[in-house]
Amino acid sequence: MTARLTAATAAVVALAACATETPRARPTATPTPSAAAVPAKVIVEDAWVRATTGTKDRSMTAAFMTLTNPGEKAVVLTSATSPVAGMVHLHEMAKAGGRTVMREKAGGISVAAGSHQHLRPGGLHVMLMDLKRPLKAGDEVAVTLAFSDGTKQALTVPVKKFTEEEEHYHPSPSKTPARQ
Amino acid sequence: VTPPVRPTRRRLLGYVGATTAGAVAGAAAGAATARDESAARPEYAVTGASVSPFGVHQAGIEQVTPRSAKLLAFTLLPGTDRAALARLMRLWTADVVALTAGRAAPGDTAPDLAQGNVSLTVTVGLGPAVFELPGLASRRPAGLVEIPAMRHDRLEPRWSGGDLLLVVAADDATTVAHAARRLVSDAEPFARPRWTQTGSWRATDADGKAVTGRNLFGQVDGTGNPASELFTSTVWAGEPEWFRGGTTLVVRRIRMNLGTWDELTRSEQERAVGRRLDTGAPLTGKAESDELDLAAKDGDGRHVIPANAHARLSHHTQNAGRRIFRKGFNYTDEQVTAAGVRTESGLIFVSYQASIAEQFIPLQTRLDQGDALNEWTTAVGSAVFAVPPGYQPDTWVAQSLLA
Repeated sequence: MTARLTAATAAVVALAACATETPRARPTATPTPSAAAVPAKVIVEDAWVRATTGTKDRSMTAAFMTLTNPGEKAVVLTSATSPVAGMVHLHEMAKAGGRTVMREKAGGISVAAGSHQHLRPGGLHVMLMDLKRPLKAGDEVAVTLAFSDGTKQALTVPVKKFTEEEEHYHPSPSKTPARQ
Repeated sequence: VTPPVRPTRRRLLGYVGATTAGAVAGAAAGAATARDESAARPEYAVTGASVSPFGVHQAGIEQVTPRSAKLLAFTLLPGTDRAALARLMRLWTADVVALTAGRAAPGDTAPDLAQGNVSLTVTVGLGPAVFELPGLASRRPAGLVEIPAMRHDRLEPRWSGGDLLLVVAADDATTVAHAARRLVSDAEPFARPRWTQTGSWRATDADGKAVTGRNLFGQVDGTGNPASELFTSTVWAGEPEWFRGGTTLVVRRIRMNLGTWDELTRSEQERAVGRRLDTGAPLTGKAESDELDLAAKDGDGRHVIPANAHARLSHHTQNAGRRIFRKGFNYTDEQVTAAGVRTESGLIFVSYQASIAEQFIPLQTRLDQGDALNEWTTAVGSAVFAVPPGYQPDTWVAQSLLA
């Protein structure tokens, strides 16, 4: 387990165009007083998990989604669990020494008040490791997210095929960057 | 017809497109009130809208016919049982919710193609085979029946049948193509494409004002569709319980022989349909919305609207009050062969009704027996579907059937 984590953490991958977090539009509405009176939970949308069938390494994959924080205080996605994974980490793609590496996101994934975080290929993601079974397109997996406000959200997430960036989520220790 | 659209906090906070909740509500109201009064239809109901996928009914039925559409029929794969079909419905629902809001569908390989305010709607239908799956046989709506072969039909398997249907419609063909590709891709583990029909409609005039639109014969096509309470009683089914707020859908691919139609005089063309070509007004009236005077006779004692005119034979007074809500998309199918380009033109006829058995079949049977237009039109494809009721942000399409 430790060895795999190290491999994943140290994996060197090609820089993806969407590695930089750039929301496509800023939120345009501010919470109304009546809405703010109710504790606002983070809104989870567009969640999906990348299939492992047909890939080189079926022991790990990633979940992607958009987190929207309608509240007035930042909320942090602190951890995630899934019955299909022995271990789940919150990862980011970060630049280190001119390369983009995948590594654990220190302190979790923060969603600013009235803002969004897009978890997507090449960027932030929920890393599912030590998978207990292959995940094929058309399956569904349960994922539970825990947030710093004490809330938890149980999701049923579809598994989808994805052809891009094979090496991002199935890093091979011997792989050298194919693209710069 | 449409429940009030309540702009949820989630919508207001939408991170792409900043969906204008007012426009959504306005569009729905327009669709609900303006069916019979084409002059009164608000322009924003036709293009540039953001149509909420949520509601008592699925989107894409009562809305004004959009400019561009694809109808995609699927065949269920052998392993697709009730539980798998439910997974597909959840997948499609999530895709539709994202795409209609202008967001990329989850896992979209070309996310930048997603765009808001393009009037995108996706309507899901279930074919008869769904109700042959274990556990679903007793849930089949009584109105969902196969259409018996009509005398003038020349049905081809390549345009007929289907276990699932998607009607993907928007202001532009690029949006439609992108949405359709995603939905087909996500369906791969469950169903394979059976047929696809691509069509277009022009529901605005030169000034951008909403109009009924024309088929490729040049006829104003869609006049006199039921509106308001009549729309409700015509279209929405009340039973079985899971199907309340659903409807049935007939898709007919109607080949039009434009060559022989062109050989008619304008007067002959107008007598075949019973309406004027320029305005769509009945031959007994002045405006498109004028009611037909089926008793009127000319100086020679002949019916002004002939006995075999399409408008007469399809009129509700001639059919024991039976109505359907019809839409259409023009198609031009061009095939390049060694001998040159072979073009086939026609209409993708779409009708919604509470019951195919009680509404569409008796109407179509009567038209098959005597409609003057039969000489220039031939159905080459036919398919029937049950369209489940609408869904909410926390539910999914067909949940009331499959959960």
